[in-house]
Amino acid sequence: MASTVIEASGLVKYFGDFRAVDHVDIAVPQGMVYGILGPNGAGKTTTIRMLLGIIDPDEGSRSLLGSRHPRSMSDRVGYLPEERGLYPGMKAVEVIAFMGALRGLDWSAGRARGAEMMAKVGLSHVADAKIRKMSKGMAQMVQLIGSIVHRPELIVLDEPFSGLDPVNQGRLEALIGEERDRGATIVFSTHVMSHAERLCDRLAIIAGAQRRFEGTVDEARGMLPLEVSYRPADDVGRAELGDLLPADAVRKGDRLSFPIADEDVSLWLSRLVASGHGVASLSIERPGLHDAFVRIVGTAAGDDNPTGEAP
Amino acid sequence: MSSPVRQALTIARRDFLSIVATPTFLIFLLAPLFMLSFGLIGGLGAQGLESRSGNDTVVAVVSREDGALLAEASVRIHNGNEDQSGLYDLTVVEAGPRPEGQARDIAAKSEDNVYSVLYGPVETPVILEKNAAGLSGRYLASIADLAAQAKRDGAFPDLVRPEYKPLGSAASRKDTRKAIGFGAVFVIFMLTLLTAGQTVSTLAEEKGNKVIEILAAAAPLEAVFVGKLVAMLGVAILFIGFWLLIGFGGSLFAVMHFADQAATAAASAPMSATDFNLADFAPAIGFPAFIGFAVLYFLMSFLLLGSLFLGIGALASTMREIQMLSLPITIFQVAMFGLAGAAANSPGETVATIAQIVPFSSPLAMAARGATDPAVWPHFAALAWQGLWVALVIWLSVRLFRFGVLKSGGRGGVGALWRRMRRGEAG
Repeated sequence: MASTVIEASGLVKYFGDFRAVDHVDIAVPQGMVYGILGPNGAGKTTTIRMLLGIIDPDEGSRSLLGSRHPRSMSDRVGYLPEERGLYPGMKAVEVIAFMGALRGLDWSAGRARGAEMMAKVGLSHVADAKIRKMSKGMAQMVQLIGSIVHRPELIVLDEPFSGLDPVNQGRLEALIGEERDRGATIVFSTHVMSHAERLCDRLAIIAGAQRRFEGTVDEARGMLPLEVSYRPADDVGRAELGDLLPADAVRKGDRLSFPIADEDVSLWLSRLVASGHGVASLSIERPGLHDAFVRIVGTAAGDDNPTGEAP
Repeated sequence: MSSPVRQALTIARRDFLSIVATPTFLIFLLAPLFMLSFGLIGGLGAQGLESRSGNDTVVAVVSREDGALLAEASVRIHNGNEDQSGLYDLTVVEAGPRPEGQARDIAAKSEDNVYSVLYGPVETPVILEKNAAGLSGRYLASIADLAAQAKRDGAFPDLVRPEYKPLGSAASRKDTRKAIGFGAVFVIFMLTLLTAGQTVSTLAEEKGNKVIEILAAAAPLEAVFVGKLVAMLGVAILFIGFWLLIGFGGSLFAVMHFADQAATAAASAPMSATDFNLADFAPAIGFPAFIGFAVLYFLMSFLLLGSLFLGIGALASTMREIQMLSLPITIFQVAMFGLAGAAANSPGETVATIAQIVPFSSPLAMAARGATDPAVWPHFAALAWQGLWVALVIWLSVRLFRFGVLKSGGRGGVGALWRRMRRGEAG
């Protein structure tokens, strides 16, 4: 079993009387891409800031790369904060070198590596441009490069896709893949499920300041039943289909849609064949992470499943 | 493992270069030139006013006979002294029926600066003085005495012509040293005033453009604060170095171009080279130690006030707040200067001890102490004391910043904040 890069137990954080994070546990295995998902204001950023030692929890404990003093590990960590910020008067490559130097990389090595990485993401033409002359997306890519230029073991990205156009989102996904291939552990927060679904090995869903789910993407999706989407070959009404459809089936355009338990799939297919209505189109799929997220977060809002553990 | 020292130096390097490589820095660097220019303009204006204000005069409202005697006495005294300082021009006015009223009118209406007016017979004169027991009154009394003797004896007595020699500065060594001490206080205060106040806005950029999150994640806040302080210290040293270089260059230029005139002036000066003894002007701990400690005390003064202002400025949310802080900061600095100035004027007294103990006036007051007290060990103790306070102020500033800005605090307001700080949970 892979060792754990981040381990947090019972993290609690108050801002005044507001409980921003409520007994959150997180364990991130080494070498994985780990997503922290949650709606706006769920407590993702506060959790990340506690994990990195930027702020201290009011309760609970955390360790980063085996140390209970996260900031002492900063040379081995790369961090892209949610609130982007760079010195507007500095040149891009100098900013990257500075960020690398803060985390132990030699200035000249930082410059060289920064220029190389900027070229890789198609930004070599602005390497010597000042940040204030760059677009927001470009500056964000520069900051991302600055966060990983020292080749950290752990990369923490807070809402990294926010503010990027689709092309740069693709570049960022590729960059994350490269860093994982290099052996780095990557933790990122997002509320856009498609990125998490494509990238994450494991994820935690935080809602209402509490962790509602922890597991793989498939485990999250597994919390929902399979979804049947069926269009008969002949134009028949719902009444004619009779018992073939459960009571909770709904019409979506020319299709009929309904959930079905895994163990009932074979039986239903047999009955479909026996009914003789034919099949113009049929899909039986597990709903995506988006639906799982909505279900988990919606449940959290109703507070009828406070643990939210994967089955 | 990360190294806070390396991180502090990285931050210092970036800050230093970003400050120095701006046109604004040139204005900062040349600021003393503007101050000197304004001072020069003010000085010339004052000189013009003085030149238009007339001579320092004394007046005698007396009979014609007494007036002639007084005028003769005044001329004799002027002729008997090469150095005319302390002597006054005498104006004689013939007395009318009411000499006192006449004397008062003259004093009130004269275009010249009339300091004293004598009326009545020279044997029993009355002298009206602008300043009680002033030199001008004594001068009138002296010439009245001569005139009275001449009136009685029919001739002026021969004036004694003393040979004047410098007493030597050793006799006034105490005052000289106090003056040196006050000079050190003033110089360190001015340099600190010009440079340390800049630190108040140094974290504003990071807070404004959100870089603070990057810094706080990468380095301990102590390293961030120290780095910023070191950068500003570097700027201060560059500033001082620049003006020292200008001063040195100017002195060299003056020596090369005006050496002949200086030699001539020195030869004709009343105090010859053999009379001059540098030791008479030396601070009590000697020049090398005094200058060395003065440099260290400037560094300490900068670090103490700089760290305090950095901490205060870090809590400000906007540039407006920072601007509002400038006035109390300047007042605080001037108050520390006042305390240290009082200490320089009263060495060994309670006020001096207080000024040497109060951390923010200590560097100034201890520099002054070096001028009057030969003991060296108190300086090492003071430097350690001041260093402790620098660390304490940075520690406190970091905690306030962590609680106030990064919101790394708990519930319960100031009471809970204090309890958590005492438990050391913030660090």
